[in-house]
Amino acid sequence: MPPVLEATGIAKHFGAVVALSNGSLSVGKGEVHALLGANGSGKSTLCKIIAGTVARDTGSLRLDGSEVSLRTPREAEARGIALFYQELSLVPQLSVADNIFLGHERTGAGGFLDARQLRADTDRLIARFASVAGTGFTADAPVSGLAPDQRQIVEILKVLARKPRLIIFDEATAALDRRQVELFFAILRELKAEGVSTIFISHRMDEIFEIADRITVMRNGATVASFASSETDRDAVVRSMVGDVGIRDRVERAVPPSSGAPRLKLKGASSRRVRDVSLTLRPGEILGLGGLQGQGQSALLQGLFGALPFASGTLEIDGRPVSIRKPADAVRTGLAYVSGDRGRDAALHGRSIFENIGSATMVREKLALVWPRHLRPRFEAAAAALNTKYAGMEAPIGSLSGGNQQKIFIARWLATDAPVLLLDDPTKGIDLAAKADFFALVRNLADKGTSIIFYASEDAELLSLCDRILVFNSGAVSAELAGASLDSFHLTNAAYGEVA
Amino acid sequence: MNRIKTILTDPLVLAALSILVLLAMGEVLSPGFARGDQIIRLLVVSAILGMVAAGQSLVVIGGREGIDLSVGALISLGAVLAGNAMSGNDGGILPAILVAGGVTFVIGLINGLGVTLLRIPPLVMTLGMTGVVQGGLIVLSRGIPSGNAAPSLMGFVNRPLLLGLPGVLFLWALLGLGMWFLLRRTQLGYAIYAMGSNERAAVLTGLPVRLIRTLLYGLSGLLAGVTGVVVIGYTGNSFVSVGDQYVLPSVIAVVIGGISLAGGSGNYFGVMLGAIALTLLQSVLTTLQLEFWGRQLIFGAVLLLLMLLYGRTKQLRV
Repeated sequence: MPPVLEATGIAKHFGAVVALSNGSLSVGKGEVHALLGANGSGKSTLCKIIAGTVARDTGSLRLDGSEVSLRTPREAEARGIALFYQELSLVPQLSVADNIFLGHERTGAGGFLDARQLRADTDRLIARFASVAGTGFTADAPVSGLAPDQRQIVEILKVLARKPRLIIFDEATAALDRRQVELFFAILRELKAEGVSTIFISHRMDEIFEIADRITVMRNGATVASFASSETDRDAVVRSMVGDVGIRDRVERAVPPSSGAPRLKLKGASSRRVRDVSLTLRPGEILGLGGLQGQGQSALLQGLFGALPFASGTLEIDGRPVSIRKPADAVRTGLAYVSGDRGRDAALHGRSIFENIGSATMVREKLALVWPRHLRPRFEAAAAALNTKYAGMEAPIGSLSGGNQQKIFIARWLATDAPVLLLDDPTKGIDLAAKADFFALVRNLADKGTSIIFYASEDAELLSLCDRILVFNSGAVSAELAGASLDSFHLTNAAYGEVA
Repeated sequence: MNRIKTILTDPLVLAALSILVLLAMGEVLSPGFARGDQIIRLLVVSAILGMVAAGQSLVVIGGREGIDLSVGALISLGAVLAGNAMSGNDGGILPAILVAGGVTFVIGLINGLGVTLLRIPPLVMTLGMTGVVQGGLIVLSRGIPSGNAAPSLMGFVNRPLLLGLPGVLFLWALLGLGMWFLLRRTQLGYAIYAMGSNERAAVLTGLPVRLIRTLLYGLSGLLAGVTGVVVIGYTGNSFVSVGDQYVLPSVIAVVIGGISLAGGSGNYFGVMLGAIALTLLQSVLTTLQLEFWGRQLIFGAVLLLLMLLYGRTKQLRV
């Protein structure tokens, strides 16, 4: 019997960026198939191509042995492929039944809604999952009154109502606690028994080994290995994710970080996306935040900066307790925050380079009056420290390339002499030359005593720059890497959860 | 060719050109339109519009759909309060300015708090405030305000003070310098542009955006109140809807002056030219003996036309 889905040699590029060079995947009937890889390995792109939300450039897709096109989500859906969205897409005001059939309403004579049919279909679905659904879960119940895990079940029922043969779960368990994960797995086993196949993306290795029949590993846009999960182990899987195991691409620091008193000490910080994180940062230290994307690294930096304040936890800077409730507090305390999302978080669109650099200096130094003539030399020096290319301080920010713009937003904080720099995936979307300038600057600043916390979605950037790396998983720190363990094997291993 | 196009679409050049064209038109339609004393009269009317438009400019530059529609009601309130405080006596001028300015400043702050804390859209908040103030005015004055302007105030607005120009024109010039200083030489000014350009980025550099926005509505109220004092100096006495005619023109002057309604751009000098151009247009239309509705129609059309024109250039710039 041919596999339900067979993808071979799938490629996709976006502009000059190759997202996928050779993606292959074979999923059998009733199989739970885990897809693994580091950030940017191409697993999301491959899933989107299978679900029809992204069209492939080349490669073949076969369903039950026959070639299919799957160029649109509708086409994929008609073939029985469903994509489960991580973000909740429910309408809280509507009932369970209405949500499940939203966009696929049952209609009777004359195109009117057939409420009775809709109810009956919903009841049948709920009955199938009665063991996991819990109380208060009826077709008429408004979604707004349901517990979060029950909403997750509605989300799953919504997918099942389309009677799919293959469901793609992209990080479906990311927002769930242990009990909810058990529930979710119960549903997966139920589906498996009915012959439905699933592709399962998760960032927790223990979950993968608990539920998956097969494991396929991707690296740098290509499928590199496929295992039966009963015939392999965690080590082998991580090794194939990393490739050339243990190569250290670190550039040693000219000046090692100081071993003196910590500059910054965070204890037990928690917020909606951060769970009980503690860390210390020494003068001149570059501390990396690693792990798969969206595991709380950005939320931690924004928490420190007051943009997404922590609900609990204590912060000390240079031994004194400080409270940071809003970014203004952070700026005055000497923290600086550089975001990777320049357009949204940093650019003062349509304003001059002078203004774009100057805003933070004016706040930090509480300048009531502004004399451009006095500030300009400082701002020019800050821009020059990064080899920024620009026509003059009065040129509009939009006249610069993306990389040069990001340099200006870093210069904004250089001009303030902030002793702590928070970098939130700062090299996103900038060219290689600008990256090199940026790395040189970060090392230089650290050598002079600036403390830096650096989150990057690219592991290579972290490994080449950081003295120490905290690896995040589900909002918590799963490992701390330093010294000999600063390599891609340990980083990838820790990214997939704490070692049992 | 490209340069000529850039120069011609510059709002300042456009406003200056339309001033010249309107002057010529007025002179053709009614000889003597562009005579010296006539121009001074037009400038006095422009100064009044320019003062309200200063507050409007600040609110618009500050962004987030900033607009203050309550300026008309606040001018009326300022004029009525000032009239009562003066009752025709010069000794009442200072109390008149303090009372009119103080009360309208506080009402403006309330507008600001509604916009920042309660997140009421500025259009709705200031329109609602217009109703409240207008109703309050009628109750306060029983429909017919009793006060009138002090002689010195009327002289300041209408009679030559220096070089043949009335004092109010010097006041307006001073306001122009003050606005330039505020916007280009104080942190507050830079902050106003920053938050109008990208509020999230402004917050992430540590600017107290809500506080500043509240203050901007307060300043707009204050400037409207002071304009009310000048208005009663211009006309001698006041009526409860004396400020209504300034609402739409104050917004149009801002747009003619090159300030994008999206916020974060422009300056007050352009708005001064805009106020003059608009006053000239009004005067030409009066010369044509157009009724109030006709003027209103043309004003509205001018605003929409400008939005079309500048909307396009803005898209090109980004």
